[in-house]
Amino acid sequence: MTDSSHTFTRLDICNRFLESVRHSKVLGMEVLSAEEYCVRTRLPWREDLVGNPDSGVMHGGAIFAMMDQAGGMAVTCRTFPAFEITPTIDFRLDHLRGPSAGAAVICEASCYRLTNHVAFIRLTSWEEGNEEEPIATGLATYTRLKIDNAGKVVGQ
Amino acid sequence: MNKLKTLIEDCRSGKVEYQALVDHVPYARFLGIQVISQGDELTFVLPKNDNVVGNPTLPALHGGAVAGFMEQAAIIFILLQMGEPRVPKTIDFTIDYLRAGHFRDTYAECSVTRLGRRIANVHISAWQKNRQEPITIARAHFLLSEDANDS
Repeated sequence: MTDSSHTFTRLDICNRFLESVRHSKVLGMEVLSAEEYCVRTRLPWREDLVGNPDSGVMHGGAIFAMMDQAGGMAVTCRTFPAFEITPTIDFRLDHLRGPSAGAAVICEASCYRLTNHVAFIRLTSWEEGNEEEPIATGLATYTRLKIDNAGKVVGQ
Repeated sequence: MNKLKTLIEDCRSGKVEYQALVDHVPYARFLGIQVISQGDELTFVLPKNDNVVGNPTLPALHGGAVAGFMEQAAIIFILLQMGEPRVPKTIDFTIDYLRAGHFRDTYAECSVTRLGRRIANVHISAWQKNRQEPITIARAHFLLSEDANDS
């Protein structure tokens, strides 16, 4: 495919990527925006994602899963318009504070360095409406699998 | 009365199955986590199911679902092994992905080291074929409550 004039945007590709990932869909996450160096995703609070029934706070695992997906999309935004399969190599998440019960969580992910084989990602999450106080920060690496026809995943 | 504390005590005394504690947590039910005990050893199971699939063309498990499973396994492990009366708070969670997670059952085991009174360091290893070939290993720190009594 030539890429002189894209008929699709980074946001389109991220949304198609999301559609193809069953667990992320089941979590209920959504993509808010997608630019070369910045992806934003959102995970609405839901009763079945609660980790502590006494407080109603969302489970760290659900937040992790959303951030892991956001990190993958951050790579997608750098390799755009090509789409690649990029498994996570490692991921560290620091939980700075707990989100409130009932609050949606927003994640911003950025691929700040892309090499031939490896992508380096920084991530920050906060409670919707309170961007000044992050609830979690993450640092991750992903590897770029050289698979032909990877674009099929997003309909390319 | 702390309902969770009662449930943990009932599990530890053998009055109630460990699974009741797992099912107490909505997210654990969402993932479908199961727990198997053999003597004092606990093995956690993430049964293969469509909802934890990431890439459906491979099909491979979602790395985030495996991470969530491992974090929850560590939390239940702390509750059952350390007499912690409240759900411990995750301070940090670090995971290395070593092998592809195929569409099959995944198992996890934990080991814990206590750092002082308030912090637990937990290593979690997850495997599918055999435990000598982990698909992921993770390390996490949890904040414990003041009144935990080790035993």
